[in-house]
Amino acid sequence: MNFILNLTFREIRSSWRRLLFFFLCIAIGVGSIVALRSLIQNLGHAVGGDARELLTADFVINSTSAFSPDEISRIESVVGKSNIIEARDETIEVSVLARAADRSNENVKFVALKGIEPSFPLVGDFRLSDGRPFDFKLLENRGAVVARILLEELKVKVGDKIRIGEADFEIRDTFDEEPGGASGFRLGSRVFVESKAFDEAGLTKNTGRIRRRILYRTSANPTELVKELREALRGTTLMVQSYRETQENLDEQFKRTEDYLSLTGLLILVLGGVGVWNVSRSFVEQKRKSVAVLKCLGAGGTRIITVYLLQILVLGFIGSLFGVGLAQGALWFIKYRFAEDLPRTMSYLVQFSSAGQGIALGVLISLLFSALPLLQIRNIKPKLLLRDETGEKLRRLDPIKWTFGLLALIGLVALAAWQAGSFEVGAYFLVGLGATSAVLYGAAFALTRVLRSFKKFGSFAVAQAVNSLYRPGNQTRIILLAVGLGAFVVLAVQSLEKNLIREFDFSNRQNVPSLFFVDIQRSQIEELKQILRDETGEEPESIPTVRARISLINGEPIDFQDREVRQQQGQIGREFAITYRADLDENESVVDGEWWPKDAKADEPEVSINDRWRERLEVEIGDTITFDISGRKITARIVNVRKIDFGNSRTAFIFVFRPGTLEKAPQTYVATILKRIPETPRARLKLHILDKFPNVQIFDVMDIAVVVQKLINNFVLAISFVGSFIVLSGILILIGSVALTKSQRIYENAVLKTLGAKRRTLATILFAEYGILGLLAGIIGTGFAVLLSYFVSEYILKIDWEFNPWLTLAGILITTFLVMIVGAAASFDVLFKKPLATLRSQ
Amino acid sequence: MIILQNLTKVVRSGTEDLTILDDVSLEIPDGQFVAVTGASGSGKSTLLGLIAGLDSPTSGTILVDDENITEMDEDGLAALRSEKIGFVFQSFHLIPSLTAFENILIPMEILGLRDARERAEKLLEDVELTDRGHHYPSELSGGEQQRVAIARAFANQPKILLADEPTGNLDSKNGNHIFDLMTDLHDRHHVTLVLVSHDLQLAGRAQRQVILKDGRIISDEKT
Repeated sequence: MNFILNLTFREIRSSWRRLLFFFLCIAIGVGSIVALRSLIQNLGHAVGGDARELLTADFVINSTSAFSPDEISRIESVVGKSNIIEARDETIEVSVLARAADRSNENVKFVALKGIEPSFPLVGDFRLSDGRPFDFKLLENRGAVVARILLEELKVKVGDKIRIGEADFEIRDTFDEEPGGASGFRLGSRVFVESKAFDEAGLTKNTGRIRRRILYRTSANPTELVKELREALRGTTLMVQSYRETQENLDEQFKRTEDYLSLTGLLILVLGGVGVWNVSRSFVEQKRKSVAVLKCLGAGGTRIITVYLLQILVLGFIGSLFGVGLAQGALWFIKYRFAEDLPRTMSYLVQFSSAGQGIALGVLISLLFSALPLLQIRNIKPKLLLRDETGEKLRRLDPIKWTFGLLALIGLVALAAWQAGSFEVGAYFLVGLGATSAVLYGAAFALTRVLRSFKKFGSFAVAQAVNSLYRPGNQTRIILLAVGLGAFVVLAVQSLEKNLIREFDFSNRQNVPSLFFVDIQRSQIEELKQILRDETGEEPESIPTVRARISLINGEPIDFQDREVRQQQGQIGREFAITYRADLDENESVVDGEWWPKDAKADEPEVSINDRWRERLEVEIGDTITFDISGRKITARIVNVRKIDFGNSRTAFIFVFRPGTLEKAPQTYVATILKRIPETPRARLKLHILDKFPNVQIFDVMDIAVVVQKLINNFVLAISFVGSFIVLSGILILIGSVALTKSQRIYENAVLKTLGAKRRTLATILFAEYGILGLLAGIIGTGFAVLLSYFVSEYILKIDWEFNPWLTLAGILITTFLVMIVGAAASFDVLFKKPLATLRSQ
Repeated sequence: MIILQNLTKVVRSGTEDLTILDDVSLEIPDGQFVAVTGASGSGKSTLLGLIAGLDSPTSGTILVDDENITEMDEDGLAALRSEKIGFVFQSFHLIPSLTAFENILIPMEILGLRDARERAEKLLEDVELTDRGHHYPSELSGGEQQRVAIARAFANQPKILLADEPTGNLDSKNGNHIFDLMTDLHDRHHVTLVLVSHDLQLAGRAQRQVILKDGRIISDEKT
């Protein structure tokens, strides 16, 4: 044992520099896993730590319309009997435009308006920006408490008045963090007012976008009560949500996100593992003589393998610890760079459990990937000290190696399953990784074959460089695989980003309106159109809309208490804006059934449905949908299915009725303007319309685009961050591979120098070799990135894909340059070695 | 006692079989100093390697202290070398990552000796390298490296010392010094010393001289 420990210590002391790449490969992989896991866990603690606080209640009943007397009585029939109800509260929410009451201030912004009652919040703490507790009195008599950022957005201050709908509200105070948090996609900053102020501002009259909630606090577990309530509310569109389910859903979501991100981390760690494998192989090659000496001195193969295995484990452990340090650095960087976009209470410290997992993974990956190379030690015979028969026998695969190979593979599957939280996902991950690697490897193989025929066309240096790629023990394909994979991930993300940004860049879409005006009354439409005509010089398009809810499908009510339906809360049960017209829109096409003839009359109401909603509602042509329009039920038969080019449409209606049914139903109008209007006149136009028609809501595409752009940017940044880790791993593998063939390169250079080659020629060979390698890796990486971005765009995101030649070219050139510089830099000292010493030592 | 019986070693060279040792039989009593000489390729080093169990013969048997080492597995041979055999190579074969002192220490640690450090210091003193113990092999001269290798070979107080051209890589002054050191240690510790050399002058100083040619013993004489 002494021998093993002492030799391990001495070997680490002398070899740590050579094994630095090993160390870094593990550190980067572990760092990415620990950073990603900790980030998600911290985010989970900050936003989803307590679902009760998130809901601000124990259970909630949600509705997208005013609660009807029948609904209230059904609720009361259950809740009234319960003895665990402690408190009740109602909220009402809508996204609406707000502006300063002072007319000289031309700022207009969307706000997320929330009407509350004195008991708000039932659960949780609500504090103002200065730390004092929120007092409902602040909202009385048209007071408002707003998110502090709104002051900046509207250029107003506490004490000023803002106009929302038809009423002015005095800003009485601000807050930084609201009860229930501020997560999710939201158009505008939060503004709290009294519930009854919604009526005073005329907001409840004409809009279908209002969300209402009744919240309850209970003294005991509400699960049973929620079950009874769901039973009682069967057949209504109300949805009941309990904090326990929310907690479960949140935990599940965060766990899933964490597991998927960990798989990304595992990908980096597996790449690190490839580096470890390479370094271990090189290490064993270099240690052949030492191993033979040890065997000659009487040490058995098992003891020697134990020494090197222990060394690998120690280095894997230290590398993993370093990785935890890197992860902490990454979290601090995220804090420095993104703290504004993340919850204020979020911690940026590495989580103990993540660090533990990361270290365990680092050590296990070190072990799995170094086991096979270390097994070569068994085959090293002490007789090589007398007669060096290198090569052939060392490469032979014996049954023990096959067994260990299989064990390593099983270990890897187990690790992936552990990280993914599911054997199936773990197995898919490995199969996917294996398939990607095989394809990249195949491409590398094919390209290197093709390249061979080019060497006769190049200069001496190029021919030598090409030759170097085929030297015995060359690492060409492994470098192409690793660097190609890095380039592939980064460029696929970049390419997707370009396509996504183009997709959401509404400014270039002539058919996408710049402004939408909704909730226009029949009496207002002509005057509003005239104003728009006068101020923009464009004839606005106006469309009649009717508000409707889906009541029955094929005569059957939708079960809103069903778990899956509840998860689509606010989608199926919401109020839809539907229209009627004789013609198809320019950007619509019928994909099933036939569009109705222009002048003929139908025997029964007919409706056209959007293709995505056909899938969502699981309906087909011939099925019927019963709509509830202001309490009146209209049953319409689906006669055709439309596909809408959402990215290029003025308006996109999910349901379109055949003329003849809805004309007499209560309706409002939507108007749109296509013209791109500069910011100041646009703000003035909005103010003008708001002054004249306070009930009309105006949606500015630019506002939406800014939010979407920010989401895309964050998404791209997050993936690029991970991608850069992959590139880093690729570079480490490259450097490791350079080290692996270095002794051969030194010898070749010595021979070439003896034969008269100048240092400049040798440098040219070096640059040409890595330049060619980089070029091939760039072609492979970008080629597959283009393919991936095409398939993801067309089939997953369902957006138009466009080939970006500049990005592709830049990808190839940057990869070439990077590999050339890194590869040449790692081998540059070879040029300065004196040939005699090298030749003597051979 | 080392007994070689009808020892043959055939290796594959390209597509052909090459006979390196051809039916060699030899007995070496305990404590004898034998020099094996012969031209390059005569099979001297192979013979030494077979005695040490570094390689296995194609046919024939090797008995070391009545134990048939040709029937031993790798670990058994390693144990045998650890306990009974010391080996000195032409190109020293020190472990480059260990200091001179640690190189001497290694065989004793493999055997699990308790007083390894004290003995290593004494051995360093015996080869007159007390002040060079903390140096790595690359920091030592050829002569110094070979002295460390000899100290290492004597570390476990082996019964048998096998030396393969120990002076081959050294100048004559250093070569003589090394040879004197070995014979001195042989005399003091009464080990069996088998020395392979093509330096007939040095071989002439052994108690017995065996000459090989094309894998066969052509002469076996006491000097």
